[in-house]
Order: sequence, then structure tokens, then C-alpha cells
Amino acid sequence: MTGPFNFIVWGALIVHIGMVLVCVWRVWRGENIIDRLIGLDVTTTLTLAILVLIAILEENSLFIDVALGLTTLSAIASVALAKYVADQRMF
Amino acid sequence: MYPISQIIGSLFLILGTAFSMLGILGMLRLPDVYTRLHATGKVSSLGAVFLLAAAIFLTPLSVGKGLVLIGLLLLATPAVSHAIASAAYRIGIPIKAGQRDDLRTRLPKIKPHE
Amino acid sequence: MSPRNSAIQMTFLLAVVYLLMTGNFEPVNLAFSVIIGIGISSLVRPQHLSIQWRRLPIALAAIAGYLIFLLADLWKSSIQVGRILLDPRLPIKPGIIHIDSGCESELAIALSAHAISITPGELIVEMDHRGQMYAHCLDSSQAEELIAEAQEVRRNLLSKIFE
Repeated sequence: MTGPFNFIVWGALIVHIGMVLVCVWRVWRGENIIDRLIGLDVTTTLTLAILVLIAILEENSLFIDVALGLTTLSAIASVALAKYVADQRMF
Repeated sequence: MYPISQIIGSLFLILGTAFSMLGILGMLRLPDVYTRLHATGKVSSLGAVFLLAAAIFLTPLSVGKGLVLIGLLLLATPAVSHAIASAAYRIGIPIKAGQRDDLRTRLPKIKPHE
Repeated sequence: MSPRNSAIQMTFLLAVVYLLMTGNFEPVNLAFSVIIGIGISSLVRPQHLSIQWRRLPIALAAIAGYLIFLLADLWKSSIQVGRILLDPRLPIKPGIIHIDSGCESELAIALSAHAISITPGELIVEMDHRGQMYAHCLDSSQAEELIAEAQEVRRNLLSKIFE
């Protein structure tokens, strides 16, 4: 694949990496702990998007299996962290 | 000259990236935690779902797996948003420029953490 | 419904999800999916899920209608939130409002809370098992009747699924 299509995918990849950097900055310099938690959640979702874009570039759906595992684990981890923040204990 | 699946896939890709950018913009512009959660919910629901739809058209991914992933994402995102919002309310993070708060009369015992 | 019946239902659902994910319908994989389903449903306590086989087609049609309604709602409110975000004055009036989901069963309450949360613009902060929900809204100045009307539409769609 060549031409405009390749340009679109590379552009989307660069934009997504820029957005991940914004989110990491948000985690580093958040106003409070919930702000950092939101930044972390968005970072994992954007990582999923980057994996999907790499799968499109390589024309290989193996990366999407990795994305599936990442989504499941990040959703559970976010809920567990939010519960920990609210109750100050894990279980 | 280009196959039709590539054109549809590119359209979905551009749409997903645009929604993700809108969500990040909202995360930077909005004033407090609760309103930011609205914006970031858009990143993970529409942005990632459109990118996965693009991947169904553009990669040799089986449609069943793509649909399972989209369903998982749409099922898990509101739960995560609700968990974070509930945690924020329970540790007493204030609502900036709030117009009304029906929950304050209902849960008067919750106080900010010491 | 007996616990064995609900275990069989859960095994069936898990097997279908596994088959969709692998995308491989050979006999060996079918047998493996059933084995995995039995293993998982023996590990967890199966939930009570009352399926009446006679009105299954009606329920499936209602589920399809509900999904289309949900997607249309998601699209509409995303555009609305995007317009708010791109406005330089940022016209938001946030607040927490009370919504009464007029549903009885826990699954219906959870699904209507999910439907509210998935559309950007409203977000459930707190809910209880009696169906009282507290949603954070970007635009909390809208009239009570409007919110009640939207919840009524959602409740009608859900009640078609659960009879």
C-alpha cells in the first residue's frame, strides 16, 4: 500500500503518540489523584488505539490479540484502583 | 483505483482519530474531574471503536473477534467511568461551577478525607 | 430456575463468545469451547437469567432495537458534546441530578444506568438497588420533564426485552 492511505495511517499514529504524551504529562502533573487516574485510563485506551494502528500498518492481526488482553486488564485495574482510592483498602 | 474496503477503512480511521482528539481537547479544557470524565469517555468509546471498525476492514482480522472487542470496550467503558466518578464523589472532590447537587441531601454523611 | 439450568446457559454463552473470538468452527475447537465454558461456570456462581424460549425472537428483536437506539443516542450526544468543547466560551452548567429508573429487576436497572453512562453528557455517579440514580450532567438546567421523558423511552425499550 502506498500513497495517501499510508500517509493517513502514519499521520494517525503520530497524532496518537502525541496524545499519549499529553496524557502522561497529565498523570505526572495532575491536580489530584482522580485526575491522575483518568490520565492513566486514557493512556491505556490510546495504547490500544496505537496497537490497532500498528496492526493496520503491518497488515497483521496478531497485535489485536494483544490489544484484547490489554483492554481487559486495564478495565479491571482501573476499577480496582478507583475502589482502592474510595475505600483506602483493596478488598 | 483503490479497493472500496480501503476507502471505508480510511474514513473510519479519520473519524476515530478526530473523536480521540476531541476527547483529549476536552480533558485539557474542562474545569473539574467530573466533566473531564465525560470527555475521556468519548475517547475510549467512539475513538477506539471506530479504529477497531477500521481494523476489521483493513486487516485480516476475523469479524467475530472485532465485534467481541468492540462489545467488550462498550461494556467496560461506562463501568470504569462510573467507578472513577463514584470514587471522586466519595473522597469529596468538589464540583466546580455546579448548578445543583441532588446527591448532597441524600448522602450527607460522606465527608472529605482527613 | 434450577442452578443447573443457569449453569448450562452460562456455558453456552461462554462457548459462543469463545467461538466468535477464535473464528474457528472445527469440531475440535467446538469441543474445546464447551470444556472451557464448563470449567469457568463451575468456578463462578452462575447468575439467574430467566430466558423464556417461546418469546425469544421478540426479545432478540427488542435487543436489536435497543442497540440501534443506543448507537443513535451515542452519536447524537457525541456531536453535542463536541460542539460544547469547540465553543470558545465553554457553555457548561454541570450538576448532579436525580433520575428515577422505573425498573424493578437489577439487570434492568444496571442496563439503564449503562445506557445513561455510555452517552457522553450524562454520567451515573451513584445508584442503589431500588433504582434511584444520580447522574452528573454537563447541562443540568434542562427541565425535569425532559429527563423523565428520556428515561421513559429507555424504560419502554428495556421492558420489551424483559417482558
